[in-house]
Amino acid sequence: MSQHAPIRVMVVDDHPMWRDAVARDLAEAGYEVVATAADGAQALRVAGAARPDVVVLDLQLPDMSGVEVTRGLRAAHPAARVLVLSASGEQQDVLDAVKAGALGYLLKSAARPEFLDAVRRTADGDAVFTPGLAALVLGEFRRLAAAPAGAGGDAPRLSEREAEILRMVATGMSYKQIASRLVLSHRTVQNHVQNTLGKLQLHNRVELVRYAIEHGLAGEPEAGGRA
Amino acid sequence: MIIPNGCSFDTVTVTATPSGAQRSSSEPLWRSLAVFRFVSVGYAALRLGAVDQSEYSRPDWAWAVIAVMAAWTVGTTIAYARPDRRTWPLLGADLVVTVGLLLSTALLQYPDATVHGALPVTAIWMAGPVLAWAVRYGRRMGTIAALIVAGCDFVLQRGAAFSAALNGAVLLLLAGWIVGHVARLAAEVATERQRVVEVEAASRERERLARDIHDSVLQVLALVQRRGAEAGGAAAELGRLAGQQEAALRALVGGGMGGARLGQSGSAPDVAPGASGELDLRQLIMSAQTDRVTVSVPAQAVLLDRTAAAELTAAVRAALDNVRRHCGETTRAWVLVEDEPDQVRVTIRDDGQGIPDGRLAEAAAAGRLGVSHSIRGRLRDLGGSAIISSVSGEGTEVELRLPRVPAIAVASAPRTA
Repeated sequence: MSQHAPIRVMVVDDHPMWRDAVARDLAEAGYEVVATAADGAQALRVAGAARPDVVVLDLQLPDMSGVEVTRGLRAAHPAARVLVLSASGEQQDVLDAVKAGALGYLLKSAARPEFLDAVRRTADGDAVFTPGLAALVLGEFRRLAAAPAGAGGDAPRLSEREAEILRMVATGMSYKQIASRLVLSHRTVQNHVQNTLGKLQLHNRVELVRYAIEHGLAGEPEAGGRA
Repeated sequence: MIIPNGCSFDTVTVTATPSGAQRSSSEPLWRSLAVFRFVSVGYAALRLGAVDQSEYSRPDWAWAVIAVMAAWTVGTTIAYARPDRRTWPLLGADLVVTVGLLLSTALLQYPDATVHGALPVTAIWMAGPVLAWAVRYGRRMGTIAALIVAGCDFVLQRGAAFSAALNGAVLLLLAGWIVGHVARLAAEVATERQRVVEVEAASRERERLARDIHDSVLQVLALVQRRGAEAGGAAAELGRLAGQQEAALRALVGGGMGGARLGQSGSAPDVAPGASGELDLRQLIMSAQTDRVTVSVPAQAVLLDRTAAAELTAAVRAALDNVRRHCGETTRAWVLVEDEPDQVRVTIRDDGQGIPDGRLAEAAAAGRLGVSHSIRGRLRDLGGSAIISSVSGEGTEVELRLPRVPAIAVASAPRTA
């Protein structure tokens, strides 16, 4: 599913040098950069008119957190998929952004082919799982499982197969290597990985609703996922 | 592989000026002293005019002395207002003039005046230089000034007035000693406060630096790394170096800034130093991250006691060194840290050629204990285990398992039950 209309990308980053470099890379590779934004508010404002397929989002923005931007984008423009880029291992922020609906996460130091591939996969709706993200997701499921029952309610759990696959992703194995090790199809591995993210995001949404109800629908749903 | 061991950001030093702190802290005392002098001149005039009038043989000269006292009070108040004029000559002159005026009483009063309860013409105004010395030089000099003034006061006393003079002397000594003490305390408090402010400023500056590095330098390094890899040749080497430094800096900045940033974004602060000497294993192992080594950790702190964390980190480093030594510089490695309810698990995997079957046992038998000793031994000492598995051609995987100490297991177990 690659030779349709070019993939529409919006780049959100407060660093002009970085923003331009990324936009240029994307344009050279045949992607259409429909908008760039230097902060979260601008991103949310522009996204409606620009209708990007993929938003390449820096987690460190001057005005609002990447998590808030992700949540806002997912709420207002569900068609736009969010690929989080961060300059450093801001683990909790990355995890929160993914729980808020980002489809993948890449370090900014990732090589150009890796980055371009990630954008394409995000546009296709595939989760972009780096080892770092897999470790965060593994850790989050463990945290939810260990949290006291009742407060978190029905905490989502990983199946043994899902945990096994996530651990392999987290130790740097490619889907292909995992598929051959476990004697599964590439697609099955991908589905397992995607499922883990889906469970986490669903749980996060349930938690947000629960939080909103408990707080009389008045509070800003800010305590995302805290069981 | 570059592993930053102990970098520090201590580039900001703000030099203190203790004397400045001392001066500013004693300013209120100098103002109080000025008030005391004016009031005490007024009191001396009142004594002379209304109470002790009949005791003076030369009241007109006594009034002249009061006038000199008033002038001297105005003069010293102006002089003492500027810190740089509070010097030995001025403070010495203050004492001499005051003592002189005090002693002039002997020429102005009838010889038996003190027996009738009259005060010297200077009355309590004579305490002025005592307080000045105490504020300026501390309690020892305050006490010395008090002794000098009190001694001169004794010279004037006759017979029955002796006990009243003794009373005055004790009060004077106490005043000199206490005011000196208070002045010293105020100076110490001010110095301390100054130091706290400086430390705070330095740490703010350090945070700002870290933030700037985060925002700019890391971005540039990441960009150089990407571009360098694409350009190839010498540029690729530059890119690789930039990547190493980016990873090292990221680990450093992440370690120092994580708490504040996460706290601000509303999440649980996860790098807070654990109670009772526990360390966050993530931070220790993150420092092993390079362009060839990817370290993946959970979002929550993985707290282990100091020794266990250090030993586990050393085992991870040994495993990574081993990868580099046996598989070459280009081999990539991944480290995964997992915090399970009953154990901490660290997995190190590389994409090298793997270890041929029996090589490890062979090496151990031949006395080359490298991997077995430093990895397995360390883990065994901690009560954990190390499993080294390898498929020829598919790299090696080292899995380190460290059981949680019972105390922590007990604390967390009942909650899940």
